[in-house]
Amino acid sequence: MAVYVYSIVAADHPQRLGGLNGVGDPPSTLRVVHAEELSAVVSDAPEGLRPKRRDLAAHQAVQERLMADGTVLPLQFGLTAPDDDAVRSALEERAEQYADRLEALEGCAEYNLKAGQEEESLLRRILLESDEARELNERIKGGDSNPDLALALGELVVQEVQARNEAVAGEVVQALRPFARDERSAAPAGNDFVNVSFLVAREDKERFLAEEKELAAELGENFDVRLHGPLPAYSFV
Amino acid sequence: MTVVPQGGGTVARGGGSGNLYDILELILDRGLVIDVFVRVSLVGIEILKIDARIVVASVDTYLRFAEACNRLDLESGRKAPAQLTDVVGEVTQGGAHGKSKGALTGAMEAVADTLQQRREGEKEPEARHERAARRPTRRREE
Repeated sequence: MAVYVYSIVAADHPQRLGGLNGVGDPPSTLRVVHAEELSAVVSDAPEGLRPKRRDLAAHQAVQERLMADGTVLPLQFGLTAPDDDAVRSALEERAEQYADRLEALEGCAEYNLKAGQEEESLLRRILLESDEARELNERIKGGDSNPDLALALGELVVQEVQARNEAVAGEVVQALRPFARDERSAAPAGNDFVNVSFLVAREDKERFLAEEKELAAELGENFDVRLHGPLPAYSFV
Repeated sequence: MTVVPQGGGTVARGGGSGNLYDILELILDRGLVIDVFVRVSLVGIEILKIDARIVVASVDTYLRFAEACNRLDLESGRKAPAQLTDVVGEVTQGGAHGKSKGALTGAMEAVADTLQQRREGEKEPEARHERAARRPTRRREE
């Protein structure tokens, strides 16, 4: 039977999984496959597994539990191996690589930061600061029906929005970078202008959090800043 | 997982769907991949980006932004946070939560394989995300 693989940990990790369920409905039972120096947390792979919310939550819960007791290499959601033996041989084949990674991540956690800016206040600011944009805007509002005006205004404003977003994103990353060992940016979704993960060591955690808090306060009410962490180091495995 | 509310000094433990939604991409798209393992079909989960309307340099975008500017009343100036904070905070908290939940449920259950699109989107350096008119949301997960 195919097995679903959640995480890799060192063989001497406590691997306490009591009370947790695996993916699937009804939930599968978690167990551990042991290799020489590494262990993998697995369960039977449910037939027709789909990435339902509860399955994602189960996958995440396993990582969090393991993380509480040591270092974990979280697998991407949805990976299955044909059987326990295949898991064992995968662990053995790459034992050195995984052990190195576990060592590198020891005492570290991922923090993911997303931030967006409220559109109205951004536009207001652009109009206040750009004479050209303000003039165009006033001409349109004053009844000038030349259709080129709206296009010119829009183009100018879009450029300003992009430039400002990039600038703020850069500032945010730069402010937090000194407290992180590594970082990884991704495309922001929805209304966000920044989406970045940091790998933060235990000893830097307080300073990282303090800096982030200060940053959020500086950005103020018109920004929506969401920091998630400590998370298993999904982005740094 | 844990969310650090931006305004608060404490680290709140939480497990709301809002949280999961924000880190969905990490669970789905990051993490260790072992190449001899097979990945279950992930058709249907990439609706994540459904509200990621990308700002492209197009006439439509320009017109939308121009209109948004035209609508602004610059004279009335800035918002009065003292007046708005309580109400807005309350409303958007519920709103954001509800929205996250809806989107997540949709993401989990709808069927559309846009994973590839998403990857392509990430590679596109010109991509910017359009901001729909919105109120500031300050999510505080508990």
